[in-house]
This record gives sequence, C-alpha cells and structure tokens, in this order.
Amino acid sequence: MSTATQSSLPTTRKPIDWWRWAGRFTILLLLIFTVLPMLWMVLTSIKSQFAALQYPPQWWPAEPTLNNYWRLINPADSIGREFLRYFWNSFYVSLITTILGVVVAVPAAYAFSRFRFPGRTFLFFTVLVRNMFPAVVFLMPLFLLMRWMGLVNTHGSLILTYLTFGLPLSIWLLKGFFDNIPIQLEQAARIDGATRFQAFLLIVMPLSTPGIIATSIFSFIGAWNEYVYAYTFLSKQESMTLPVGIQRFFTEFATDWPGLMAATFLMSVPVVVLFLVLQKYFVRALTEGAVKH
Amino acid sequence: MTIATERAAIAPKAAEQPWGIGLLRRIIDHRSDYLYILPALLVMLVVIAYPVYYTIELSFFKTPPNLQMKDKIFVGFDNYAAILSSSSFHRVTINTLIWTVFSTGFAFLLGLAAALALHREFAGRGVLRAVLLIPYVVSAVAASYVWKWLYHSDFGVIGALAVQFGLTDRPINFLDNTTTVLPSLIVVNVWKEFSFAMVMLMAGLQTVPEQLLRAAQVDGASAWQRFWHVTFPHLRGVSMVTVLLLMVANFNSFIIPWIMTSGGPAGASDIWITDIYNIAFGRQRYGVASAYAVILFIVMMVLGYFYVKALTRGDEARAG
Amino acid sequence: MLAQVVLKDVNKVYGSLYAVNNVSFTVQDGEFVALVGPSGCGKTTTLNLIAGLITMSGGEIAIGDRMVTDLDPKDRDIAMVFQNYALYPNKTVFNNLAFPLQMRKQPKDVIDKKVREAAKVLDITHLLDRRPRELSGGQQQRVALGRALVRDPAVFLMDEPLSNLDAKLRVQMRSEIKRFHHNLNATIVYVTHDQLEAVTMADKMAVMHGGVLQQYDTPANVFSNPVNTFVASFVGSPAMSLIPVEVVTTGAATILKGTSGWEMPLSAANARKAQGSSNGKAVLGARHSTLKLHKAAKPDAVPGKIHTVEPTGDITFAQVLVDGEVVNISLEPSVAIQPDERVWLEFDQDRMHLFDATTTMALKAA
Repeated sequence: MSTATQSSLPTTRKPIDWWRWAGRFTILLLLIFTVLPMLWMVLTSIKSQFAALQYPPQWWPAEPTLNNYWRLINPADSIGREFLRYFWNSFYVSLITTILGVVVAVPAAYAFSRFRFPGRTFLFFTVLVRNMFPAVVFLMPLFLLMRWMGLVNTHGSLILTYLTFGLPLSIWLLKGFFDNIPIQLEQAARIDGATRFQAFLLIVMPLSTPGIIATSIFSFIGAWNEYVYAYTFLSKQESMTLPVGIQRFFTEFATDWPGLMAATFLMSVPVVVLFLVLQKYFVRALTEGAVKH
Repeated sequence: MTIATERAAIAPKAAEQPWGIGLLRRIIDHRSDYLYILPALLVMLVVIAYPVYYTIELSFFKTPPNLQMKDKIFVGFDNYAAILSSSSFHRVTINTLIWTVFSTGFAFLLGLAAALALHREFAGRGVLRAVLLIPYVVSAVAASYVWKWLYHSDFGVIGALAVQFGLTDRPINFLDNTTTVLPSLIVVNVWKEFSFAMVMLMAGLQTVPEQLLRAAQVDGASAWQRFWHVTFPHLRGVSMVTVLLLMVANFNSFIIPWIMTSGGPAGASDIWITDIYNIAFGRQRYGVASAYAVILFIVMMVLGYFYVKALTRGDEARAG
Repeated sequence: MLAQVVLKDVNKVYGSLYAVNNVSFTVQDGEFVALVGPSGCGKTTTLNLIAGLITMSGGEIAIGDRMVTDLDPKDRDIAMVFQNYALYPNKTVFNNLAFPLQMRKQPKDVIDKKVREAAKVLDITHLLDRRPRELSGGQQQRVALGRALVRDPAVFLMDEPLSNLDAKLRVQMRSEIKRFHHNLNATIVYVTHDQLEAVTMADKMAVMHGGVLQQYDTPANVFSNPVNTFVASFVGSPAMSLIPVEVVTTGAATILKGTSGWEMPLSAANARKAQGSSNGKAVLGARHSTLKLHKAAKPDAVPGKIHTVEPTGDITFAQVLVDGEVVNISLEPSVAIQPDERVWLEFDQDRMHLFDATTTMALKAA
C-alpha cells in the first residue's frame, strides 16, 4: 500500500462564484417585484381615505387605522353586512363545489388510472381538453341553459359550472396519485377477501388522502377566485360572491381605495392561508403529471 | 412422467376478429369500468358537450337581442365572414398575440431564473418559494384592483416612484394611454403567473440527474455549458407543458384587462375574450360572438393537441 | 381438504397476442410447483389467472374440488405473496396480518389468536406494532408470508417473493420457505425467473416460454431430459452447450459431423435418435460436467480452442470455442490451460443430448 503524498500543488484561491451571486440578485429582484404590490395594498388599507389620496404619496401611514377593516366585518354596518354576505356566499359555493368535485372525480380518476377500457384515451382527452376551452365558449350557452333551468341568480348555477371546470384538473391530479399506488396492494386485498370496492375503500382511499387534499385545495381556490361566470350568472346582490361583490359596491361612487384594499386583503386571506398551510400538496398538485417522477 | 408439449415455443397469433365486433366485445367486457366515470361523464355532458354543440349551432344564426332563440335566423357562414373581415378583429388579434406572447415569454423567463436561483438548497428557500407563489394563488380580481391602484394616474405609487427617481417629470397615466396600457397589463399578468412557471421548472430541475452534472464538471464543462448541455435538455418536456399551459391561460385571459381597463382606452387593450364578451353581453349579438368563440376554440384545439401530446407521453406504456 | 390445482386449456389473449396459450397442468395436494421462465413468458399471468386477478380468455381452473373459473379472488380460498410484498403501508404489521381475517368477519379474539400464532411461527412477534416502511426487506418478506399464513388457505401463490432481497438473504429465505412448505404440507405455486430457485425448492417445475408450457416435471427430470433446446439452455448453470451438427449415415454407421469437419461416431442408442432428425440437421447438447478435456488430439474428440478461463476456487470453468459456438466445461483447478490453447473435448455418449435443428425438440429413439 502506498501512502498518499501530501499534495504539493499550488493552492488556488476559490474564485468568486458569479453564478451564485447572480442567483441571489435575481431572487432579490423577484422578491421586490412580488412583495411591493402586496405591501402597498396593506399599507393603503390602514390609511384613511384622506391619507391615501396624497401626492406625493404618504409612504408610511402617518396615522395607521384599522377602521377600514372594522367597517367590513361589522354586521351592524350596511357595508359590513353586504361584505359578510358575499364572503359567506363565496365560502358556501366553494365548499360545496369542492366536496361534490371530490365525490365525482375520485371514481373517474381511479378508472382512468386502473382500467384499460375502450375509449379511455379519447375520454381522457376530452376531460383534459376542457382546460383548453375559453370560458366564453361556455358562457353564452350555459347562461341560456341556466336560464332555462331557472338557475340564474342561484348558487346552483355556479356550483354546477365550477364542478365541471374543476373536474378535468381534479381527475388528472388524482389519476397521478392513484398511479403511484401499486396495483398489487389492491390485488392483495382482493385475495385477502375484499371485493373490488372494499379494496378501493379500505386500501386505496386512505393512501390517496394527500391527493384528495391537494385536489380539494385546487377546487376550493379555483371556485373562490372565479369571476367570469359569477359576474354573468349573478345579478342579484344577495347571491353575489366576493370577486363580483366588491367590484359592485366600491365603484358606485368615487372609489374608496383604502376600503377596496382592505376588502381585497380580506378576500385573499382564506386562499393564502389555505395555500401556506398546505403548500406541499399545492405545489405537488401543480406539477403532478407535467413532470414524471 | 413427462408431459411435454409438442408445440413450438413461439405463440401463434390469435385469429383476427373483425374490428367492430372486437371493439364491441371489449366494451362489453369492460362495462363495469364505465360506471366509475359515469358521474363525471354526465356532468361533463350537460355542462360541456351541450354548450359546445350549442355554440357551434348558434354561430350559424342571427340571434335576436332578447335571447328568444326560437326567433333565430340561419345565416350560414355570414357571422364568420363578418368577424374575419372586420378591422377590429385584426386589431384585437394583434393585441391578443402581443398579450399572449409577451406574457408567456416573460413569465417563463422569470420563472426559469427563479427556479435556477432557488434550485440550490439554502435556509429560507421554502419561505421564499411560498412568498413568490402568493400572487399566483390570490384571485385575479384582487390583483387587478391592487395594480389599478398602483397605476393610479394621480396617486399611484409607481408613477410617484418614477418621479422620485427622476425618470419622469410627472406621474405617467399608464392605463389611459394607448401605447402604455397593454405593456402595463402584461406586467400585472407576469406578476401573477411567473411563479407558476417557477414551480413547474423547479420540479423539472429535480429530475436532472446529479451524476450527469458531476460527469460534465469532471469533463471540464463550465457552469453555462453544464446548463446548456445537461440541465436544459432535461427541462425540455416540462418547459413545453409550462409554455403551453401559460399560452392557453393567456389566450383565455379576461379578468385583468376587463377589470383594469375594460379593453380601453379606444380598444387598445381589447383582446379576444373581452371582445367576445362585449359582443355577446354588451351588444347582445350571440350569433356573432358564437362564431368568434368557435374560431378561438379551433386555435385552442391546436394548442390542446400539443398539450395532451406533451402530457401523455409515456402514459400509454404503463401496463395496467 | 384436498388442495389440488387443476389448469385445463387455460388461455389469456391480449388483442391478438397469446400471453398464456393453452396451458394445462395439475398441482397435487401438498406439492410445491415452480412456474419458471424468462420475463414475459406468461408465468406471472398464469399465476394471476389462478388467483382470479385477471379474467381468462378460455379454459378452466379448479382449486380443491371446486371449479373457480368464475369466482372472485376472495372466494377462491387462496393466499398470495407478491414480489414487492404489497404490505398495506398505512396499517401496522398486526393489522396487515389481521386484514384477511377481518375481511372474513372472524371474531376479534380469534383474529388476535391467529395473528399471534402466525407471528410466532415467523418470528415477527416483536414487529407487530411497526409499520411496513420501518421494516427491513427480510422482515417485510416474513410479514407477507404471515399474511398468507393466517388465512390457512387451500393454496399459496407466490410471485417472485425473493427477487427484491439481496443475495445472502435470498438464500436464507429460500430455505425458510422450503421449511414453511414442509411444516405446513402446503400446496404452493411459486413464480420465479431464477431457474436455480425453482430447481432447489420445487417438487415440480413448469417451464414456460412465449405463453406456452414447455415442460412440466420434477427438477431432476427437467435437468436430465429437457424436451427441447429452450428448456435445455434455460435450466442449469452454466447453461447446456449447444452445437449445430449434421447427421451422416454411411452404411451401418451414423456419425455427427461438425461444420468445421470434425466427426464423432455415435453409440447405437444415439444413432437411432439421430436418424430421426429432419433433413439430417441436429443440435448436439452437453452439460459442462459431462465433458472431458484433452490437451492432445484424441480420436472421436471434438477439436476446439480455449476462449476464457474462470477459476472459482474448487472448480474452474472454461469456455471453449467449437465451430464458433461457446461450450462450457468444468475442470479440476489443477488443470493448467491458457486462452487460445488448442484442446479436444470428449463427449459422454450416455449423457449427451440430441435435438432436432428444425423443431428444436429432443430426438427420441425411433
């Protein structure tokens, strides 16, 4: 065995890693780009109407106030009553859409993942292609359809619509999760005495919980943020959801910018919280399928 | 006791069945499989197949503004001809192309830069990724209002900052100027969706084999050469899906231009969807709007074809 | 209860491809049968057909004294051990073992008793509260066996249960499964691509190729009397060497002639076999241990050239090129040979094999 000789090579100074610095600089710029608008929204929302409309702007609120928020969540105030109504409508529609979406998407995704039935590819294609259609293609006929079914100005019209526009993505996401569950587990369960349905319910479902959570977040956020259909189908104030509602009542007269910023802040809170808490699932859902693991 | 088969090892081919009978048989064999997709299929039929059919039908009719569709009049391809020959269609199409190409391009490039910068593990990386993703998560309605306020002609913070840094003498009227309005809206759109490209590409970067990068380093490749010859080819598939998804989303954009400018001033930020919406719900010309939607739909189908192709590669190879 | 398995003309067709082509065989009660063949030969498909996990295109299967062709897997009274063990990842070991009993609505105290018994037999009692991902490969393997065991099924089906283990563990588990079979007197159908596993463990082996059952017999008979060149070259390691030859009959004498011109006289029995070949084309087969190596020319020995020499300690394997074909031979380590050395191989007339070159089937005395 020869012993390693001490290296007598000249030691070179580590060069500055330009790539790493370029990366840091990029991140900094993107962070400023991303955060500044949100920061300005929050800063504006704690200003009075008077303080907001100044030139040059008051960079930092001289007299920060939470009045804009109190007004929105105060059920005694007429604005608050309206806002809370929209908030509840949005929540209700999003929740029902999410639950129904999971119930319908799970069996379909399971079938696409497990079975090789004739027409599977074609059906899957149509499910995916739904993502491609511009909303307006559906807007007009759906509006007429909803009118015919007497659903205009009801939440049923929105739930039914959101259900379908969420379904393709839900099915696609869930299929990815089901694909990752080895089919042998179900086969084992069936040999162990389970019916096909029991194997699905007792073995596959518990294992696909992350997928169902991810899909649910997507449906919920999608429904919560949706604007076009809600804008077209709902004209009665008491049935409006938040995205449509806040527009309606802040632009009636001169815009109350601090109030509007407070409202957009409150509107964003549920989805941002949901996203931050379940970020892992969200990111996985976003990239599932596009990247083969 | 030897039970030897006297047959050759290679299996003979089964007798070919007539195509139709074979298919019917396979459908019957799999009949219970369809039960699983039935609920999804029903919902999709009512809310997708019917509207698509109805849109195509209406595109050949002149429709009354009162929406009494029994009074519609068949006009053949007149609606299509009217759209394709109108000058506003050409202007709107150019706007749409500018909007889509620049939004997609910038969102992708910023996303790529962010993904590369965030690829290396470091403390706070998860938090940074989360913060950058917030614009993608919040509603476009919220984003539109916030940016409308940022762009405000008198009290907007962007104009004020520009003056502060001596870029202009007085606040720019971003949204009320035919030359600045479209770029201003594209900035909002990029702000909202670049982090989508970022997470997609971050996921793609994880599929780049570390060993290949090491090998390239040993072979003397510079950082740039490693990116160009190893990393980038591995990102091709994800990049394609990402660009396609962004393009589709941008072609279908409505909320940002609608809330921020309603397509104005003087139609300078009118894109396909806002135009169709105006024709249908503003001017109540459903027939024309339907034909317009069908044209759009055809463009989307072409994109959709590439999307599905990019997505399902390798999927059929998986054994069931 | 008699736990035999009978397959009769079993078929599985995908599109126009026969994955399993008219396979028939009977597994006797208490027998250990290995389904063996290269990947894609239809052995796993056959096992899945026995299990009822896929539907047959044709044929019949009986387990015990019942026809099970149209029964669900759960009603076939079988247990199965999978290649990747297929343990339920969200259940503890205890609950994995209990699952088959729960599905059969057994009372709680019975389940508890049976699970603990099985755990004791397999020495996994200390693992009962763990989850599968916390177990080593060997432990997971035992749990998978345990889950099959608690059921006390008529037949155990095993799909390459050892292929995910490392070499050392595989040898250990091999003997454990053999004990398992012996102690329970269990009927086992075992799928493997490793002919050595089949030969060492099974009472009978069913060699499959291209969806067709080639030979079904005891390992000893398959080894010594392969029915065709495929079985001959698949079973045994190193593989049986095969050399294409010509059968030449002049007067009363029948000889084999190599492509390079060498000639080998045949014994009376071999001559009768060789005469049955179509067009006088045959394949000469011999296992490594039946060949004798000579370093000088010897009448009736076949000339060749040493290709490689692989000493393994107690035996040295050499590859000899004969007419461009590789012939495996085993030697005493004391024999000194060099690559490229000219050698002569002496065949054992009683232990050599003759196959028809066209049909690949073993030639029989007319």
